[in-house]
Amino acid sequence: MNAGHYISGAGHLGLIGWLLWGANFAPASDPFEVSEVSVISAEEYAALTAPDTMPEASSQAVAPTPPDTSEEAPEIPAAPDEEPPDSTDPTVTRQDDPDQAPDVSGLRPPDPAQADDTSPEMGAAPAESATLAPENSERPTPRPAPRVAPEPVAPPESDSQVDEVRQEERVPDEGGETPAEPQEATAPEEAATEIVTEAEESPEVAPSASLRPRARPRGATAVANTNPPEENTETDADAINSALEEALGETRQTAAPQDAAPAGPPLSQGERDALRVAVQRCWNVGSLSSAALATTVIVGVSMERDGRPDVASVRLIGSDGGSDAAARQAFEAARRAIIRCGASGFDLPEEKYDRWQDIEMTFNPENMRIK
Amino acid sequence: MMAGFMTLFAALTAVALAVPDPTEAQERGPLRIEITEGVIEPMPVAVPDFVAQGGAAREWASRIARVVADDLAGTGLFREIPSEAFISPITSFSSPVQFADWKAINAQALISGAVGMEGDGKLVVKFRLYDVFAGQELGDGLRFSGTTEGWRRMAHKVADAVYSRITGEGPYFDSRVAFVAETGPKDARRKRLAIMDYDGANVQYLTDGNSIVLAPRFSPDGQSVLFTSYRSGFPRIYLLNTNSLQLRALEEQPGSMSFAPRFAPDGRTVVYSMTRGGNTDIYTLNIDTGQTRRLTSSPSIETAPSFSPDGNRIVFESDRSGSQQLYVMPVAGGVPERISFGQGRYGTPVWSPRGDLVAFTKQSKGRFHIGVMRLDGSEERLLTASFLDEGPTWSPNGRVIMFTRETQGAGGQASLYSVDITGRNLKRVRTDTGASDPSWSPLLK
Repeated sequence: MNAGHYISGAGHLGLIGWLLWGANFAPASDPFEVSEVSVISAEEYAALTAPDTMPEASSQAVAPTPPDTSEEAPEIPAAPDEEPPDSTDPTVTRQDDPDQAPDVSGLRPPDPAQADDTSPEMGAAPAESATLAPENSERPTPRPAPRVAPEPVAPPESDSQVDEVRQEERVPDEGGETPAEPQEATAPEEAATEIVTEAEESPEVAPSASLRPRARPRGATAVANTNPPEENTETDADAINSALEEALGETRQTAAPQDAAPAGPPLSQGERDALRVAVQRCWNVGSLSSAALATTVIVGVSMERDGRPDVASVRLIGSDGGSDAAARQAFEAARRAIIRCGASGFDLPEEKYDRWQDIEMTFNPENMRIK
Repeated sequence: MMAGFMTLFAALTAVALAVPDPTEAQERGPLRIEITEGVIEPMPVAVPDFVAQGGAAREWASRIARVVADDLAGTGLFREIPSEAFISPITSFSSPVQFADWKAINAQALISGAVGMEGDGKLVVKFRLYDVFAGQELGDGLRFSGTTEGWRRMAHKVADAVYSRITGEGPYFDSRVAFVAETGPKDARRKRLAIMDYDGANVQYLTDGNSIVLAPRFSPDGQSVLFTSYRSGFPRIYLLNTNSLQLRALEEQPGSMSFAPRFAPDGRTVVYSMTRGGNTDIYTLNIDTGQTRRLTSSPSIETAPSFSPDGNRIVFESDRSGSQQLYVMPVAGGVPERISFGQGRYGTPVWSPRGDLVAFTKQSKGRFHIGVMRLDGSEERLLTASFLDEGPTWSPNGRVIMFTRETQGAGGQASLYSVDITGRNLKRVRTDTGASDPSWSPLLK
């Protein structure tokens, strides 16, 4: 073997060896990156983390630099001859005086709107469709009014007379064949749904509670009767006996006329609700004591066929929740309501007179007590 | 056997068919409805001039009717119908009332009265109250007799009787109010102790204004007034007889300051605050024996004590929890129980004469309020809101609260206001000068 073979063999072995293990001797990459930083002080670090802590009040106030104004400063009026505030004043956050007139110097009236006398064309009414009510409605702002009623009432027109019912003004038509009676416009007095105190009126004080849902119409609540009516005293035994007698063909000789079944269909729910609404419009509990406002009374009344109550028949049937004196005041308020609002006759169907010739009204002031 | 069984079966069947349906039985009775909603508004009332029975009584007939009408309308529960609307004036006390004429003007109540003079110069006032729509008299008419100087008191008594008969509340018009009359600029204000009728009439000054007076409080019999005065240079408690104007210092201990006195219902015990060695605590003092008793011993400030109507408990303010709150403790001693937990600071609690509520001053969000709450702290209701409201006092029937309202600024003026416990009828009480620190007397005898 000559030297060329040795050299060639050594060269190939070297090449194979480099291919096999040469990569292991390559320089390893840096395990982390290095960037330039600057050293900061503890105060600067505290300033960076300041949002997590309360700011410390500085004892040295720095006067703010007045803004650069190119315009000439306005003339300052002479200071009023007022004494400095008394140091004995209570330490409270002073509010702007609500009675002070607001500064309106910067306001100017809006440009007059371009009014067009032509009425807009109304499109076809959209088809009835269900809509989802928002989950959270805006809380109504209580509005103070001297009168509290089940439904809020806007202030009446200035030329309207205050009355329980709203009526349009009617002028007799001179040319008509049957001139109608003239009628002045009437409207109910302004009313809120609950008493609003001065503290609740304040704009910065949010109402502490949402409006209470209105009570659903319910049947008469059973309360303890101090003087139960005679027609309700019939016992079950009496009813069974009378039914048995009737079934066996015997007739009762002492049937009271009020026990006879009333003629005509019963009053519809709408007719009953209309009567209820008519009475509650006149049920004024504003002048009752706290004790009377905690007393439920049942008042009986016999009705004339024209829908007017028989004033002499208004009577206290029972009461619950208060003393005799409180029941008397509550009854008198209820009596006034029935007589006043029934003076021109309640709107009741005459053909069902037998159904409503005797009425028992339960006046329950629970909802009114918490207004 | 079989025949007997068949007879029994037939009888039961007949009963089952013949027993009326319960709903049908219900329909046999009267129509029943329930009224749960109504209105809250002043009741219209007609108060025509009283009939003068004799020429000498003519001077008083109209004036007494005016005071009666003002008393009723001033409650906010009644609205007087102006005399211009009357259809038929009442010319005779004994003639029958024309109810139709009063119904036509929507008068729901009518007061008919007469005034006469007796031989000894005494004034006689009598009246009747009618429910116009029911067409009948309410209760029995009443008759009062007194001197002509006391004509306003007789008018108040008529109004009290009408008010109580219609509303069911106790009377309160025939009462007086002790207060501090304030004159002069704010930095040199002259403060005098004064008393007046509840409506601001008949003001009498009890002190001369040479020393500052604070917080007058009526005795349960209405004959004396407790108050704090700086006449010795330090606040001290004094007792003043409003008839004889006899003055007596109640508590003088060197190195101490006494203030915020209030009578116990027995009229012989006074509860007050005393600051000694920088600590303020509550004490009681027996007026007859001079014996004192310390009720609190906390290092915090305890003040503004007020007795319950039964005399067994005391409500007061304390900052023992870190902020000013209301506490109730037994008079015999015991751990005070905190009753106020709302946001803000509570002070100057006063127990209602009915015993069911406490009136207080509250400072919250930079505004002052007069409010009421129950004794367990529930049903708190703020009745007013202003720059500065403080120092509530109850009417004798527990229906109305009077307090001090001060306006903002160097020219701020203190005046008296009253408000119904429902929060309605907030109004200023008429006084000729600035006024603060009201204390309502019991009903006059």
